[in-house]
Amino acid sequence: MPKVNTSGDELDVNLTDDEIERIKDELNRDPSITEWGMFDVMLSEHCSYKSSRPKLKLFEDAEKNYDYVLAGPGQDAGVIDIGDNYALAFRIESHNHPSAIEPYHGAATGIGGIIRDILCMGVRPIALLDPLRFGTLTDNPHSQWLFKYVVKGIADYGNCTGIPTIGGEVEFDKSFESNCLVNVACIGLGTIEDFKHAPSRAYNPRDYIILMGGSTGRDGIHGVTFASRTLTDMSEADRPAVQIGDPFTKKMIIEATLEAIKTGHVRGLKDLGGGGLSCALSELTGDGGTGASVDMGKIFIREPGMNSFEVMLSESQERMAFIVKPEGLEDVLNVFRKFEMAHAVIGRTDDTQVLKVYDGDNLVVNLPATALSDAPTIPRKEKRPDFLDDLLAQKTPEPSKKLDEIIYDLIASENICSKEWVYRQYDHEVGVRSVLKCGDGDSGILRIIGTNKFISSSVGTNSKHCFLDPYNGSKGGMIEICGNVIANGARPKAMVNCCNFGNPEAPESFWYFAESVKGMADFCREMKIPIVGGNVSFYNEDEVTKTAIKPTPVIMIVGIIEGEENIITLPFKDVGSDVLLIGETKPELGGSEYHSVIYDMEGGTPPNVNEKEIKLIWDFIFELYENNLVKSNHDVNKGGIIITIAEMCFKNKIGVKLDLNTFKEGGLKDDELIFSESVGRFVMETSKSDYDKIMDLGGKYKISVKKIGTTIMEPEIQINGLKTSNFTLNLKQMKHLYDSTIPNLMDK
Amino acid sequence: MNIKIAVIEFPASNCDRDALHVLNNVVNIKADLVWHNHFKEKDYDGVILPGGFSFGDYLRAGIIAAHSPAMDEARIMLEDGRPVLGICNGFQILTEAQFLPGALLRNESLKFVCKWVNLKIENNKTAFTNKLNKADIIDIPIAHGEGRYFTDKLKELVDNDQIVFRYTNEKGAITSDSNPNGSMDNIAGVCNLEGNCLGLMPHPERASESILSPNGTTHGKIIFDSMIDFIKKRSA
Amino acid sequence: MLWEVEVVLENKKAARDPVGETIKRDLLAKKGYDMVTNVRSGQYLRINIESNDEQQAKQVVEKMCNELRIFNPVTQILTILNVKKS
Repeated sequence: MPKVNTSGDELDVNLTDDEIERIKDELNRDPSITEWGMFDVMLSEHCSYKSSRPKLKLFEDAEKNYDYVLAGPGQDAGVIDIGDNYALAFRIESHNHPSAIEPYHGAATGIGGIIRDILCMGVRPIALLDPLRFGTLTDNPHSQWLFKYVVKGIADYGNCTGIPTIGGEVEFDKSFESNCLVNVACIGLGTIEDFKHAPSRAYNPRDYIILMGGSTGRDGIHGVTFASRTLTDMSEADRPAVQIGDPFTKKMIIEATLEAIKTGHVRGLKDLGGGGLSCALSELTGDGGTGASVDMGKIFIREPGMNSFEVMLSESQERMAFIVKPEGLEDVLNVFRKFEMAHAVIGRTDDTQVLKVYDGDNLVVNLPATALSDAPTIPRKEKRPDFLDDLLAQKTPEPSKKLDEIIYDLIASENICSKEWVYRQYDHEVGVRSVLKCGDGDSGILRIIGTNKFISSSVGTNSKHCFLDPYNGSKGGMIEICGNVIANGARPKAMVNCCNFGNPEAPESFWYFAESVKGMADFCREMKIPIVGGNVSFYNEDEVTKTAIKPTPVIMIVGIIEGEENIITLPFKDVGSDVLLIGETKPELGGSEYHSVIYDMEGGTPPNVNEKEIKLIWDFIFELYENNLVKSNHDVNKGGIIITIAEMCFKNKIGVKLDLNTFKEGGLKDDELIFSESVGRFVMETSKSDYDKIMDLGGKYKISVKKIGTTIMEPEIQINGLKTSNFTLNLKQMKHLYDSTIPNLMDK
Repeated sequence: MNIKIAVIEFPASNCDRDALHVLNNVVNIKADLVWHNHFKEKDYDGVILPGGFSFGDYLRAGIIAAHSPAMDEARIMLEDGRPVLGICNGFQILTEAQFLPGALLRNESLKFVCKWVNLKIENNKTAFTNKLNKADIIDIPIAHGEGRYFTDKLKELVDNDQIVFRYTNEKGAITSDSNPNGSMDNIAGVCNLEGNCLGLMPHPERASESILSPNGTTHGKIIFDSMIDFIKKRSA
Repeated sequence: MLWEVEVVLENKKAARDPVGETIKRDLLAKKGYDMVTNVRSGQYLRINIESNDEQQAKQVVEKMCNELRIFNPVTQILTILNVKKS
């Protein structure tokens, strides 16, 4: 790592020689040590997206192309106009490295950070969703420890702040064993005016800059450089970058901030996250076209003797910066006094376009406001990994067990079994908006009180598919997550993503990233889904083997449902209904749970994506919805169709008699038919009397709609029409296996 | 009469707005959200201490809020017979402030638990259960990490009819399987001797609208309706 | 021989302790105990252990607390307060 020297001080910086020269050239002098620290942070991968930005340009301009997008990529959160004067903000980001080292506080402060991002948009955070990834749990105390404390960290923090956790995803795979993935997503709701009050910019000179919330301490200095390196590079000594979560203070910050915004005097708002004050001040002024003058002595510090370097780079949690109109200062301060929140007026904006920080009479920072936010990019090499051809060529072995035994194994497997152990620990109902109980649907659904409008949201991806084919795998992830909200009756309105990949300096890792971004960009353009934000987490790799994690482009979708009667849920409702399979099943077992659980293999042919067909399926489903033809709906994913059907049977203890003769003609083997994870499929419950109408519609859209069974009173799944022998599955036994895997691993 | 209820907002209360919504928009009663330092009892006919994590539940759930000036005001209401309702964290505050007997300890599982449960009405003569029948079974959700009721005066509570709710299964049987947190004797809620102060761990405000309820029931609303009825009868 | 080892787990000095801070600010200071300058919280464990001598008892406790992550060295420190015959 290069060193920089200034008046006797020396600092290790994560900057390239080019960057160091460019900075000196532009300033025409050597920066102070504090300024070097600020450049180091602001030009880090975490803050500047220097590797990822060239690829993220593939995402189309959402603000320009979609009239309902109010804030797109580059802001603290994406914001869309959902009608009735409401603005919906949402974002997802990663907190992987801190959580891998201190799972409880790492996950908790991850939740803290995402809440602040939403709050910055001027709206109330109303829901959390958490996609998580760990090594497999069986016989692995380290994975169990991470899993237990990440969940507890999320629960303790989310529950205390009064924000319900309404969804998430948990995947177990050995590639995440030492570098677990903790992604956190938050949704916020407010009026359009609330949103307009609080840009993350300081547009006006002479406004006051107020710092509110926690005190500034030595903790977390250089947290972002930590996030921009691999865990392998780091010694124990680096690790105090982990922060202690304080949900109580966060809850007070939420209430004080929202009340301050209601005064109408707040003109800008920014949370202090990665990069601390450096990042907040330079973004507020640099992007707002103003400058500022800050008195360091006014900043309330936790430990005596902190120097300007430490103060400007501290990443102490639970702090917010406010830009306030001169005439409104007293009103805003009175709000902070009411909530007994520590606060200080630390400076004022001006029209100099220069950011100045004084330590007493010393000018310790004197930089053009845009210098820090204007980072160069680094072109990275891409290379398709050589190992892929062998992996893709892997063939499925002849089944070593009977199909029914395989299904029982699958339903009990870590990735398919019930995640109730997790969501019971989350308060998923606080806020009285959660209308769908966990386990009853594919997405989380929130009502907007006072309207007949509902928000549906889901998060996730399939990293096994992405490992084999990142381009189609990412599209498949989009289809799955969109499928989750569609199954519940919502049209996907917008997406944000969180890209978790390995070291971008490794061409293979960067290839995975580039292909995934391209897949998401192409899909969203074709399906007209605006991408309103994203977060990139690189340098995720195994501590020991230095192999990258499975590529994990996590997707978050929000959709809107108009009218309570249009919410569709997953459990079968009646006996004697038709069970339909929508979408084509192909011999796509690559990266399936079947391969992984039964044969411990990762290869094979992964699902391919045909957007045209997907689009028709979606249009078909919405036409069924408009005609009230769907009783229950569930998208097909991990484990294939029988697993999907079993999940629909459980709640109301309704069985199914399946007749798969319709597949006899095709070339599918029985295991391909049952376990394929072809994307874009749905299993539906519909009324017998509507059969002709539905089939006619299916014909009109030229998509595959097949009746595969009938719901029955007996608590079993009877499978007929296979090429090999037929069999019957006992629902009670399946449910027992489904429910007990995680409690057995975690509580016994 | 113009009934007015105060819902107290302690630092990090978080079910305050939920209770306010239900009172104002579902029960259709005038209710105010009142910051704990600003609360004056003389303006109100009843008070609700809502759920949440007052002061982060740091040290012990409810202990710091129990020292808030709001509790001095609430004590005046308690003593002159006006209804005082503590929900979840509010129940913890009421026991810490010694308005109610007993204490709420960490759940036996050591985990936070959020789920719908069944309660049996053991005493329908309180200010909050007068519109329910004895032995009714109601649907209501819980969401807490420290809800294990403990008392060293169980016999006294039973003799004085201070146990208001017990956790049961769907059929009304008091079993260990239906006890979600290890509470002594499956106790979910207790009242004072006079019956004008109730604390319960479950959340009636989350069970007051059919859209939020898995069975479509609105049993939680009956608790608020009873409270309003009690106020009306008291002032008549 | 049976020994009793008393152990305290607390956050490192450099790490915040919101519990202690809140007790000091929102309870003690507000109730007039403003002479209190700092409060730190922690967890206390009293462990009874079979061991040949005091030194070994202490070592085993330290070892197991480290090995089983009874405390996380990233954020916490462990202090053995006292070892005595049980």
